[in-house]
Order: sequence, then structure tokens, then C-alpha cells
Amino acid sequence: MPRLPEPRFAADCAIVVDGSRVPARGGESVAAALLAAGRPLLGRSPKYHRPRGPFCLAGSCGQCLVRVEGQPNVRACRTACRDGLRVETQNAWPQASHDLLGAVDWLAPRGLDHHHLAIRPAVLNRVAVRVSRALSGTGRLPDAAPPPWPPAREERFEAVVVGGGPAGLGAAEALAAAGRRVLLAEQDRWLGGRLRARLFLPGDPPAPWAEEVAAAVRRAGGEVVLGAAALGLWRDGGEPLLAILSEDPRWLRLVRAPRMVLCPGGAAQPPLFDGNDRPGIFAGRGLAVALAEHGVVPGQRAVVLGDGPEPDALAARLRQAGMETAVTGAAPARARGRRRVTALDLANGLRLECDTVAVCGPPAPACDLAREAGAAVAFDAALGAFAVRAGPDGATGVPGLWAAGETTGALGAGEAAAAGRRAGEAARG
Amino acid sequence: MGKTLACACEDVTLDDVRRAFALGHRDLESVKRYTGLGTGPCQGKSCLALAARELLRLGATHGEAAPFTARPPLHPTALAALASVDPDSLPPGPGVPLPPAGPPPPAPRPSGPLPARAEVVIVGGGIMGLALAYELARRGLTDVVVLERGYLNAGASGRNGGGVRAQWSTPTMIRLARRSIEICDRFASEMGVNVWFRRGGYLFLAPGQAQIRDIERNLELHRRMGVRTRLISPAEAAEVVPELDTSRFLAAAWNPDDGVVFPWPFLWGYAVRAEALGVKVRTFTEVRGFESAGRRLTAVVTSGGTIACGSVVNACGAWSKEVARLAGVSLPNQPVRHEILVTEAVKPWLGPLVSVLGTGLYFSQSLRGEIVAGMGDPQEPEGLEMGSSLRFLARFARAITACAPVVGGLRVIRQWAGCYDVTPDNNPVLGPAGFDNFLQMSGFVGHGFMMAPAVAELQADLMTGRGQDEIFERFTVARFAGAGAVREDFIIG
Repeated sequence: MPRLPEPRFAADCAIVVDGSRVPARGGESVAAALLAAGRPLLGRSPKYHRPRGPFCLAGSCGQCLVRVEGQPNVRACRTACRDGLRVETQNAWPQASHDLLGAVDWLAPRGLDHHHLAIRPAVLNRVAVRVSRALSGTGRLPDAAPPPWPPAREERFEAVVVGGGPAGLGAAEALAAAGRRVLLAEQDRWLGGRLRARLFLPGDPPAPWAEEVAAAVRRAGGEVVLGAAALGLWRDGGEPLLAILSEDPRWLRLVRAPRMVLCPGGAAQPPLFDGNDRPGIFAGRGLAVALAEHGVVPGQRAVVLGDGPEPDALAARLRQAGMETAVTGAAPARARGRRRVTALDLANGLRLECDTVAVCGPPAPACDLAREAGAAVAFDAALGAFAVRAGPDGATGVPGLWAAGETTGALGAGEAAAAGRRAGEAARG
Repeated sequence: MGKTLACACEDVTLDDVRRAFALGHRDLESVKRYTGLGTGPCQGKSCLALAARELLRLGATHGEAAPFTARPPLHPTALAALASVDPDSLPPGPGVPLPPAGPPPPAPRPSGPLPARAEVVIVGGGIMGLALAYELARRGLTDVVVLERGYLNAGASGRNGGGVRAQWSTPTMIRLARRSIEICDRFASEMGVNVWFRRGGYLFLAPGQAQIRDIERNLELHRRMGVRTRLISPAEAAEVVPELDTSRFLAAAWNPDDGVVFPWPFLWGYAVRAEALGVKVRTFTEVRGFESAGRRLTAVVTSGGTIACGSVVNACGAWSKEVARLAGVSLPNQPVRHEILVTEAVKPWLGPLVSVLGTGLYFSQSLRGEIVAGMGDPQEPEGLEMGSSLRFLARFARAITACAPVVGGLRVIRQWAGCYDVTPDNNPVLGPAGFDNFLQMSGFVGHGFMMAPAVAELQADLMTGRGQDEIFERFTVARFAGAGAVREDFIIG
């Protein structure tokens, strides 16, 4: 059962993957369509030609790169399906499922030390340089130059909120309530962030809240932009300058504002075990969103890794969707399978047969935008990651810059929304 | 099989991280460079935290496990998109990231204790200083300490595009560059670490008659010195790089013997071999002042203690002027930021390093498949600025997509900057300055990396009494007082 058997999830178009048609739903991501088709293998890794497939399903990791309409290295999880869209897997010969260069992985089970590979004699070294070059790179050069982009627009707002998850929605709500003309920029094509997983965890704000906030922002003269990735917070000319980019439709906007509230959340963290990069291993939130929004059922047997309400809720969803599902807080030792995970060996000796692994747990905070602007970060030992240092009201110590939500550490969606509201209230004056 | 991936983008395993740490790459910036972790299309989002956790577990301090520098753009961005920004709307300004607010974060530990005395103290652990240390040790002078304020590759040696070429406009520079190219060619086998030297050639495009005249002037010199440079037509250039828009230039200078290297391993190779011969290389050790008696420097004062010395070599690149000032010596050098970027890796398509004369644009393809490229900015003010600007991305994107339109679809994944060490005549500063034993090796104007292997040999000969090359008479600091300076004009970037 590749998709939940509900009429609203029925495929309505087909994309063309390596020449064959794959049913899809217009607007869902290429990655989601391929998961529903039982094809998580999207290409091969650069050095060892290990099988690669989507992991985070949220535009953070780099594991789902494909060629789309002749352009290389496009993220499958960020590309919307439409009928006839041409998708090709990358970096495999003759094909991603049977790649002869995958032999490198077998021949070098402990890895290749490229710093000391074939250094002597000099003749061999020259050959090694030629061979390495021939094998380098993932995608091929674009087929043709892309059409020119429309000129970038320069704009001013009274406030900018980066991130349309719980914290960003809270901040935008507070700023709009104070009458501030705010720009709310969300990198995905839907608002809500983790709320889109529809796991209804304790403390989660109600589902229609995102649309209510968007309406309030618009009423106050502000704007909500979706599919808008924040590229950086530069200082050209002295004032903070945020660049945001949308690829579909194509635009780039340069935004200045005296108040910026950064709520970019974080990036799903891959767990550490042998074979942790196998196709079929996904971030729990990304998988939950694909299931909730497009009815994607990624396989038959799932293991959900993690402790707490989130993995339990996700496991319940996967079971409802017909997948045999186990939840474990035990540490995995090894993923079995090659082109797709077939079992997970736990450190306690247990083996769990599966074709899908969902990794739950707080993401590593996205700190780079704040760091560019001069905000300090600190290592959060409990989280095991760096987080933006911000006060209870989101103040970062950088004038005009606040941060809230998972970018400052692990917190539930309800807490993140409250932190966002406090930051928005602090920033509105 | 048996691999735990720390960085799935670049196939870096957890074992690779552990090996790097065991080899002495204890801080995250160094681990990133040695393993390649965090340099792929996810831009470090997936690996930074786990690498920090692993380093802490292995015994690194929080100063060492501090996050590597945040580099824009934060999402892979097509050059065509960046070309939509009007660079003229963006005046040059401070680069990012800005220094963090609040108290300074903890610093990494020095890599080892300092001796009370050393015959030679080399200030600056870039390629110039490390190559000199190795060449001195090879000549039997092993009582040498190299002091580096940051990690190896923190300065311009670790921030350049890795181009090495013989196409210069003076006999001296051609001689030095050719010797360096010889050393590059043998570096891996002799120094035991790969530098991925690839002779893809250099293709200089001439958009106007003025640049053609410059090339023609050099051709005669090149022929005399046996440098195989040819003036070719746009059609011939398109045979070398079919993706070029041939309407954008009138002719090109082509030399198939020039090439590109991967810069970082040069420093590791020189440092490891120098240390094996007895040299002490000390990172995270900052020079704070000098002690002197009469016409001689007698000691170097550092963050880790004072070292009595026989002589001091100032090899600090763009920081040379500041370091000389600590000794009360004034140098004419001026630091100027130059910005650079890489794209995501694609299959090999670009053989040579291409540079458009008169614009400062240059681009080449690394052995990982990335386009490594930069462009100077005539409006760039003088200063030790190493932050990144959006203006550069916009200027560069417009220039490269005009030159080779198909690259508009390639995505930029990281930008950074380094400082050129500029002198009034674009030639280096060598020999003593201010004190008889305060020797300068600076002012290489963005090409110090490719000159260093050759210059270090000559400097080591000089310091061990094996002869004095004419460069030490030609490039003295005293020349700026008179009118004897001959300008080098074939500068790119």
C-alpha cells in the first residue's frame, strides 16, 4: 500500500524518473512521490558510491540530490511534482540501483584515505589524479543555461520573521497584533513547521492556528512568503540585509528591517551507527509530514527510534497506515541491507526486520543565520548540539535581532510558540 | 560495509574524524579541512553537532570543539539567481559573520610547549613559513620554531584558489613560478601527502585590445624563457572550454602546463616533514611583541611565553605589516580582502583555470568537481577584513554567467574571503627590515601560495650560507624609498 487509500491522496499526475513514469500528486515533493512508489534510492554518494536516498525530507540534509529538467543537484524534497517533470538519478553507472562503481565501497571497507592514496611513485600519483578527476562530482553540468531570473527586489519591512513553524508563527502573531508590517518567510511551501506532522502532541497549538496567523499578518499590511529560503544575513552597506529566495516561482528578495526574529528551527540529526546513510532511514518529522499531507506510506515494516511522546505518536500513525511498527529507545548498532535498509541490529543484540527507520528527536538548532549577524552560540550538552544564546524574550545581544524556538534549544511546539510570542512582543516596540 | 557516516554529503566516516583527531587536528576547523566534513551541499547542517560531540568525547576542549565559521549562502543558490542582484545597489561594507556578541568564546589550546630559545623563529604558519621551516631543516638548521596564531590554513594559504602558473610578466617571477610548479609536481611523492596537482592549463581571456597588447608583450618573454604560452583565437579557446561565450573576448593566452592544486595539504605536508626533522610548529600561539638590543631582535614575546632567538622571519602574509609594527618596523604592505566561493560538485567539464583579464574574474574546477572561483573588487577598501559580502556574490555571478552562461545553473554552497598582501609595485618584500636579523617574506599580492615553495628554497639557502639569489637584492624593503621598482602587472583576482 504505497498511499493511504483515501480519495484525497489519489495520484493525479506522473513524473518521469530515469525515463519511466512514476505516479505523483501535483504539488507534493519529488521525494514524497518516490517514497510512495517504494523507490527511496535516488543516486550514489560521491566517494564510495553508496546508495543515497532522502533523509530529512525538509531541505536540510544533502542526500536527495537529483537532476531535474536538466539541472543537476536539485533537492528532491524541495521540488514540487507536476505532470511530465523530468527527474534523473545521479552519480551511478549504469544506474543507481546497480552501480558498478559501488565496488569502491566493498573494496575499501574501512574507507579510502585520499590524503595518502597512491602518492608514490610520481607516475602512479599522476594516474591517481586523472582517475580521481574522472570519478569526481555528482551531477553533470546543466544541459543549458537557465533563463535569466527577474531582477532581485529590495524591500523594507517593519519586522521580519524567519521561519513559519510554531515559534515564527508566535512571533509574527505578536508583531501583527501590535500593527507591525511584518514579513513572515517560510522555507517550505506550507506554514506550520513540525505541526504539519499532525501528531497532536501534548501542548501543540491547534491546527488552524497557522492560517489564522497568516490572515492576521496580512490584515496588518504584512506579507507571508512560502518556499522562501533565507540565504544569509549580510551587512553590505552596514545595515543587516536578509536575502530570501524562492525557486518556484523564481524570485530573490533583499529585505531590510529594524527588527528581525529568527525562528528557523533546526536540522534533523542522523544517528550514528554502521550504515546510518542507508536509503529507508528518515527523519521522523519529515516522514510524518509526508504521511499526513500526501498519504505516503513508505514501506511495510518500520522501526521508530526515540523516546517520548513523538515517537509513540508517529508509530501509532504508521500502524494506522498499515505498517508493522516497533518503537525502541535502544541504540542501533548497524543497519542491514544495501539499496534499502532491511533490518536494524540494536546494540543490545536484538535484530528488528524493517524497510523503514524513522529517527525521532530534537533537531540540531539552525544557528548560522544568527551567527552571521553576530549572535553567540553555546554547546548545549543535553541536546548535544550548538544553540543560539537568547534570553527569555529572545534577545540575542545583537541590536534588532531576536531568536526563538528550536534554534535556541530543544522545546515542545507549545513552548516554542510561547517563546516566539515573547520575542515578537519584545521586538514590536 | 562497516561505515558510520559522519558527513553523508562527502562520505566522511566517523573513523575519519577519529583519525584526524589522532593526527593532531584537534579543533573543528582543522577537522573540517582534513576530513572534508561539512564542505558538501548540506553546508554542515547535518554534521557539525555530531562532529563536535565526537571531538568532546575524544578529549577536545570546548574551544577546540567550537563550531566552524558560518558561511553564506545557507542554501545552495544558483549563480543565475545571484546574478539577479544589482551589485551597484550594494556598497562595500563589513563582511559576515560578524564577531559574536558577548564575552569571547574559549580558544583552542596551543599545540605544544615553547622552547626558551630557538635559532630561528618563524612568525606565521602559512605555506611561506612552513615551507621555509622544512627547507631550513633539510639543510641541517633544525632549531626552528614556527608560530601560528590560528590553525594551519587559517590565513590566505588556506583560502586561495590553488592556481599555479608560469605565465608572468617578469623573468624573475617566471623563474620562481616554474620552480614552484616543479615542486608541486613532485610534492605528493616526496612529501607524502596528496596535493592533487592537475595540469589543466591557464586560459587568460582578453576582452579588449589593451589586454591583447599585455599578452603580446609577455609572449616574447615567455618564448625566450621556454614557457609554452600561445595567443589563440576565441574559436580555439572554445575548443579548450566549449562553454565559453566567445562573443565576450577577442583573444586568449593559453598555456597548457599551468595548473591547479588543492592548497591545504601543502601546509600539512610541510609541517609534518619539518616536525619530523626537529622543527617545532606551534598553532594557536600568538606573537604579541619583540625584544631587541641595538640592531638585533633578541626575543619573541608570545601568548605562550617568550622565546629568545637568533633571528626572526616575518611570514605573516597580510598580517606582516601588523607583526612588523610590533617590532616598531614600518612596512609598505596593504591588506586587501579578496572574496571567493565554491559551487556544488559536478562531473569534470572544465580543464583549465579561466581568468578574464581586466576584470579579476577567475574560475577553475577542483578535483572534487566544485567550481572554485573568485573576483577582485576595485572598490574594496584596504583592511584586514575576512568576512563575506552579498555584493561579491552578485558581481561574481554576473561576470561568470556572462563568460560561461551554462554555469548559471550551478549552485553556490559556500563563500569566504582572504586577504591579499599588496605592495606598491605588486612585488614581494624580502630581506631584513628595521633589524639585521628581522627577515621579511611578505608582499606576494595574492600569489604567495604558488611562489612559496621556490622562495622558501632560496631563503633557506640564504639563511644557511648557501648563496644569495638576486631576488634578495631586487625585492628589498629599501627599494620603495627610491625609484628602482619594476611593477608586476599580471595579477589576477
